[in-house]
Amino acid sequence: MKIKLDNKEIECGQDKTLLEICLQNGIKIPTLCYQESLKPEARCRVCLVEMDGKLVTACSTYPKEGCSIITESEKVMKARRMNIELIMAGHVKTCSLNVSSNQLCTILEQIGLTGIRFDPIRDYEEDLGSAVIREDNKCINCGRCVKTCADIQAVYAIDFANRGFNEHVAPYCEHKLSDVACIKCGQCILHCPVGAIREREHLYEVIKSLKDKRKKVIVQTAPSIRVTLGEEFGMPPGSLVTGKMVAALRKCGFDKVFDVDLGADMTIMEEASEFLSRVKKNGPFPMITTCCPGWILMMEHFYHELIDNDNMSTCKSPHEMLGMLTKTYYAKKQGINPKDIVVVSIMPCTAKKFESTRPEMKSGVNYVLTTRECAKLINHFKIDFKNLPDEDFDPSLGISTGAGVIFGATGGVMEAALRTAYEFGTGEELKKIEFHEIRGMNGIKEGSVSIKGKTIKFAAAHGGANARKLMEMRKNYHFIEIMACPGGCIGGGGQPPHSTLETLKKRAEAIYSADKSLKLRKSHENPIVKQIYKEFLGEPLGKKSEKILHVRYFKKSQF
Amino acid sequence: MQILKKTNLKALEKAIKIGPQETIKILETKGLTGRGGAGFPTAKKWLFALNSQSDEKFVICNADEGEPGTFKDKFIIENNPETLVEGILIAATTISAKKAFIYLRGEYSHLEPKLKKAIKLVTQKSKAGIEIELVIGAGAYICGEETALIESIEGNRGQPHYQPPYPVVKGLWDKPTIVNNVETLTCAAQAILFDDWNTYLRLFSVSGNVTKPGVYELPFNVKLSEIMKLAQPKNKVKAVYFGCYGGCMPYKDIELTPENVCGESCIHGSCSIIVVDETNSILDLSYVVSKFFAYESCGKCTPCREGTIRALMIVRKIRSGQATEEDLKILQELGEHIGQTSLCGLGKSATNHLLTSLKHFRHDFEERLR
Repeated sequence: MKIKLDNKEIECGQDKTLLEICLQNGIKIPTLCYQESLKPEARCRVCLVEMDGKLVTACSTYPKEGCSIITESEKVMKARRMNIELIMAGHVKTCSLNVSSNQLCTILEQIGLTGIRFDPIRDYEEDLGSAVIREDNKCINCGRCVKTCADIQAVYAIDFANRGFNEHVAPYCEHKLSDVACIKCGQCILHCPVGAIREREHLYEVIKSLKDKRKKVIVQTAPSIRVTLGEEFGMPPGSLVTGKMVAALRKCGFDKVFDVDLGADMTIMEEASEFLSRVKKNGPFPMITTCCPGWILMMEHFYHELIDNDNMSTCKSPHEMLGMLTKTYYAKKQGINPKDIVVVSIMPCTAKKFESTRPEMKSGVNYVLTTRECAKLINHFKIDFKNLPDEDFDPSLGISTGAGVIFGATGGVMEAALRTAYEFGTGEELKKIEFHEIRGMNGIKEGSVSIKGKTIKFAAAHGGANARKLMEMRKNYHFIEIMACPGGCIGGGGQPPHSTLETLKKRAEAIYSADKSLKLRKSHENPIVKQIYKEFLGEPLGKKSEKILHVRYFKKSQF
Repeated sequence: MQILKKTNLKALEKAIKIGPQETIKILETKGLTGRGGAGFPTAKKWLFALNSQSDEKFVICNADEGEPGTFKDKFIIENNPETLVEGILIAATTISAKKAFIYLRGEYSHLEPKLKKAIKLVTQKSKAGIEIELVIGAGAYICGEETALIESIEGNRGQPHYQPPYPVVKGLWDKPTIVNNVETLTCAAQAILFDDWNTYLRLFSVSGNVTKPGVYELPFNVKLSEIMKLAQPKNKVKAVYFGCYGGCMPYKDIELTPENVCGESCIHGSCSIIVVDETNSILDLSYVVSKFFAYESCGKCTPCREGTIRALMIVRKIRSGQATEEDLKILQELGEHIGQTSLCGLGKSATNHLLTSLKHFRHDFEERLR
């Protein structure tokens, strides 16, 4: 149909909203509550435009044949300004957050608000969770966190409480976030336009440890960090910055830089062996991966029968495995007292912060930093990240395989485990090592492989809502991988914010190209893994590895 | 009174006999419009729902009569519930819905036994095979708005959402749904059966400073003086409020035609008249009404959530004698802004009363400025 956009006649589709039409025609309209991929709510009323003289919200309005849209008239600007003023009046006055990713700050710059004529009226307590912190005083009630938690993650940990000007986001019955069934995935952080939700930062503690001469501070980086850290320094999505990242961390003063990919290889050794022992015993199936701490929390809160039926793998997550190995194997080898070692994990994840404080984990990891915190740390030491020369991980615990790298994307754990399980199970070499059916951004992916005449059906899901769907039909499969965040770790709650499906795809591409570029692509081919088993652990699922690399989980309340 | 005429299931019989198209045609020729306030042609609404393709459809009777100064629906439920139920059954058979709901205002829960009795009696007698469920609200004004009402029946937070899609296309549980007011459905039954049914007769809820408040059936374009004659105000009348959302105007002897009322920037959709006499200050009333809207705002959209409380704070400031000319200007600006940019009907009309009182009774505000 034909419409007039800012007095220019254009052709547009009927099924596109005004916001999408404007974007297609290169007109940027400020938004706060709008979130790509979710149904618009039209709460914030900032995206106002004039349609045939009437003010309408661009995100929720469809064009009418022959209508005239004006996007920047005085009437529109005045209304937008007023709404922003009302929002700002409710927003905390001393907000110090002024970062480029903060949408409200960006809009403030564009809109030319001269002053706020209303006094602050709200005063809420901060909700200091163990991994995620909420500041209601900054919240502008856009509802994106609520929708993310419900529609993308299907966790329903937070919702609106009360009414009118008392309306605010709150966990169940206005409890604290740490007291309710929250999986700490941090997706709400990624979608908050004002920084009212953030991770519990451990930067201060890490910097303090770095300054402590008696401590040996070891950093280990997760597989997905290398494809996302560049974005924090203005590089395009999907830039592979492994070398620069290692160099920067060394410059920060870390004594050793280890690669969690090695931990991932260890996880695969244990997990593949565990799976094969289940195949031998004919159950219990399905076996479900436990690399994702968000998913573990979801299971503990909502899927108690998985614990009863022993469906969960007992393997710790890769960084916990590597943390333990650093404090046992590495410490022994180097003759260092484990108490003098501080292990810092750089993770794409907020739930990992919680994971390392679990009492049953007896964790070897002291602090977990997110990708965003890592960037802050690098900026703190005033390091010119973009122009650093590439460096390699410390070889003692820093050699890894392609199987470890692909842990960062959804389906990766499954693919890596299958590469090893197939060769362990059949004793033959796996010819086609890429499992394309398990890659990509479809919510639930499945496939099958034959090991010694037995058909193994496997599936992978990412995002809480998809995980719930897959759990409904779990009986059809032998082996299931679940990642709580959309896209897997590359879309984790600790990653650079405001990621679209496009950025996720680019990050995944980078992960798979990193895998392809490596010579060793199967976990059991890793020389260090072989060495660790030979010198220290004995064999997968052996007595020693059971003690330090495995853990069991407990049921938690559904509310 | 026309509204009290019983139809004794004859209207339903007739509707079944002549079929949906003819039934809707009768409503169209008789000119029945929605009596909840918006005045949308009932025939059109039913036709939309009839033409929507779906395996399941619903009818909802909106008995969440929350507007201050409106109590005509209560009057109907108390005095002629059987005809109301029949009206619901007619609507359901017309669009071939198998289930209907009555959403009763929480404060009217004392009417529940009476209504339940009528539902049981009429549905059993009718043999139409339509189930009517009575849902009782929890007291939120916003749940009178149809999309919020639907959310509330579904068990969600009672918050409205934007339209389209309209409920007649995607309503309760995403199925085509008719939402009609109590008076509309009762009138629908009567309009179908009685040849002499008159669409111009409306129920007026009259309250305020009068000795005889109550429900009066009068032609919709009745003169205000006629109403005053019936209701007998105590003192000299200063102003009339058309409910809270309709705004206020100084008392004049005018005919209540839409043009006349609109000319005073008011709306009188649900025919509620609150009479205010000389003993009252409009500023005090503005305070009470502002408080009502700030309290009843659902909190979903920015202008209504943040704006109504700011408007209330300014009115309070004016009352306390601390305000300046500047505050009055902000109040005016806020009033226009909330009306123009809010999401639902509540927000759009939440400041009507402020704008009209600022227009007609600015003096009451100005005399209290610093």
